[in-house]
Amino acid sequence: MTRSSDRPPWGAIAVFLLPALVVYTALTAYPVVRTFWNSLHKVLPNRPDEFVGLANYATLLFSDDTFWRSVRNTLVWACASPLFEVGIALLLALALYAKVPGSRFFRIAWFTPVLMSYVVVGILWVWIYNYDWGAVNALLRLLGLDTWTRAWLGKPETALPALIFVTTWMWTGFNMVVLLASLHSLPSEVIEAAELDNCGWGAKLWHVIIPLVKPTLLNLLVLSFIGKMKIFDLVWITTKGGPLWSTETVSTYLYKRAFEWSTFDLGYPSTIAAVWFVIIMTCVLVLTRVLRTRDRLEY
Amino acid sequence: MNRLWHSLAAVARRGTLGVSTAVVALALLVGPALASAQEVTLWTHWAAEKIKREFVEDAIRQFEAANPGVRIKASWYEKTALYAALKTALRAGQGPDIFYAEPDQVEYMENGLLLDLSGLNWNNIEPWAREIWSYKGKPYGFPLEAWTVEVYYNQKMLQDIGMTVPASRQFDAAQFLDLTRKAKAKGWTPMSLGVGDRPFPGAHLTHEALLEKLGTDDYGRLLQGKLPWTDPRVADTLRYLRTLIDAGLLPTSFTSMKLGEAHTYFHTNPGALTFLSGSFYTSRAFNPPDKGGQPAGFPLGIMRFPAMTNAACNHCKTMAVGGSYVVNATAKYPREAVSFLNSMATPANGNRWLEAVLVQTGIKTDASKISGPYAGYFRELAAANVGAKYFFGLPSQVLQGKAKEAFTQIFNNAFPAGSISVDDAVRQMAAAYQ
Repeated sequence: MTRSSDRPPWGAIAVFLLPALVVYTALTAYPVVRTFWNSLHKVLPNRPDEFVGLANYATLLFSDDTFWRSVRNTLVWACASPLFEVGIALLLALALYAKVPGSRFFRIAWFTPVLMSYVVVGILWVWIYNYDWGAVNALLRLLGLDTWTRAWLGKPETALPALIFVTTWMWTGFNMVVLLASLHSLPSEVIEAAELDNCGWGAKLWHVIIPLVKPTLLNLLVLSFIGKMKIFDLVWITTKGGPLWSTETVSTYLYKRAFEWSTFDLGYPSTIAAVWFVIIMTCVLVLTRVLRTRDRLEY
Repeated sequence: MNRLWHSLAAVARRGTLGVSTAVVALALLVGPALASAQEVTLWTHWAAEKIKREFVEDAIRQFEAANPGVRIKASWYEKTALYAALKTALRAGQGPDIFYAEPDQVEYMENGLLLDLSGLNWNNIEPWAREIWSYKGKPYGFPLEAWTVEVYYNQKMLQDIGMTVPASRQFDAAQFLDLTRKAKAKGWTPMSLGVGDRPFPGAHLTHEALLEKLGTDDYGRLLQGKLPWTDPRVADTLRYLRTLIDAGLLPTSFTSMKLGEAHTYFHTNPGALTFLSGSFYTSRAFNPPDKGGQPAGFPLGIMRFPAMTNAACNHCKTMAVGGSYVVNATAKYPREAVSFLNSMATPANGNRWLEAVLVQTGIKTDASKISGPYAGYFRELAAANVGAKYFFGLPSQVLQGKAKEAFTQIFNNAFPAGSISVDDAVRQMAAAYQ
């Protein structure tokens, strides 16, 4: 026979859980479910929602060139950026870990860009990339490389790389700080043991340090990947997806379809959101599975 | 009785309850009186455009003085924020009584969100302005702001390259190419234009040329997708424009230059020979020089867009209706809202708009009555429009969906920037209509 004091205090549990559950349901679960529901309908004001089945999905997947162009741009960005950001961040973190002269200054200087919003960063880089008086072209002219000057954000072939450079500049510092914290928490006895074994700097980095910080690297790669899959603000401020859709991302295209295409229909934009949600979820699962550390490191 | 006495005494002791009771009683008495004041809500663009804002605020003051008991509560926005707020509010049935809109926003009419404004005093409004705002035979917008596409130029610079504007105010295609080359040889930019923050200025170049080449009917058919973009006249026109572009017509920073910067680029630094702009040029250029206006004594002239070879209508040009007011179909006070718009739609107000804002309006006006320092400008503008045949609406106002997006990407940006060939531009536009 169970005594009443052994039973879980369901009342108290409910009281503590309810607020979080209500907030989660209203602001996360319901919008997600509603988005999927909308994607199967034509959703217009002043009239009942009209069921269209999978018509929106068929149009999106089989005849919407702009969507596929935006998918390609976003994937290029999401795959390239994490490699640049985390790769450079690792080098910078190692430099700081090795206590290069002025390391305190560099730590602050390299971290500062992440403290700025995308809006500020966007405006700043529109100026830096300006053809006439921007810093990039001014520097090239100073170096006598006038033929290299161009409207960096105005040409389809350079606009996307120019924006990838901006996000790399912005986020490398963040990755660096996280990696630096990870390096500082490495067990000193393992590194000392490697040094006692006459392990060189390169070998120590490759065979000891990188395996030890691998979980952190993986998390940073996944975080950066997800961030770029959702990127909107920077593009909106700098190029609005142009020129010729060369910087169109799925988020900017979704916004355009929802708010700038002279239609109130929320069905088609919801379809884009639903498809992209599934793609991001799949990519994250695959990435986590492929990159995860199979064997637990022991030291 | 004794019980009642005790109860009252208890209430009296509780001072706070006494105050609360008094407040409730006061609210019950005064509430209906307050509710009877009709508050018409207005959401409008032009938060940062002082002169237009003052014009509307003045109209509100006059209307409220003439209609005691009616109050217009205006909320001022910048355009992007306003559009985002409206899309959400209207979907939720929470929109204002009156709001700012432009004629390309057909989605409002398509979804029955606007009140039919047949009751407006259309005798005081230009018929073409009504036509632009008509949807399935009914008018839906009060067209306050209108503008034409003009080629502004620096008279001194033109003189310096040894050219004179013909009596017709229109160079032919070869002469304009010559102008471009001569200006370039002097190290000048022949035409200031920037698309860094707008989806339309770069396209002026293409649509004015196509309009002249095809004439209003065929040009309208082209935009509607009834005339194919593969029509040889289209490619001919684009090839000529490409010659101008390759000759260095536009600033190298064209793609990132903002509209305001393009103004300054033309009249102040570094200075360009011409500037292709809506006639709203004045709203920036006639500010004091320290606030972005043109320098004192700037030799401003207006010429016509160059004539195309073998064109159907070289006297054709674009007229667009810009800022307008519409009434929400579910407005709380529709009668008062229409009444407010009617109060603005008078010839006197039209002239006041012209004098103050220096941009055309859909309200009937008499520009000859304009006096003051800008009377000369209006004479010049009128001369540049003598005998003009107008096509009403920019492509961005006529086109919808994918065609609109393609037109903006190609002709506002990539084509004038020289990033896309004539054949590619034609092919991509043709594909956008499929």
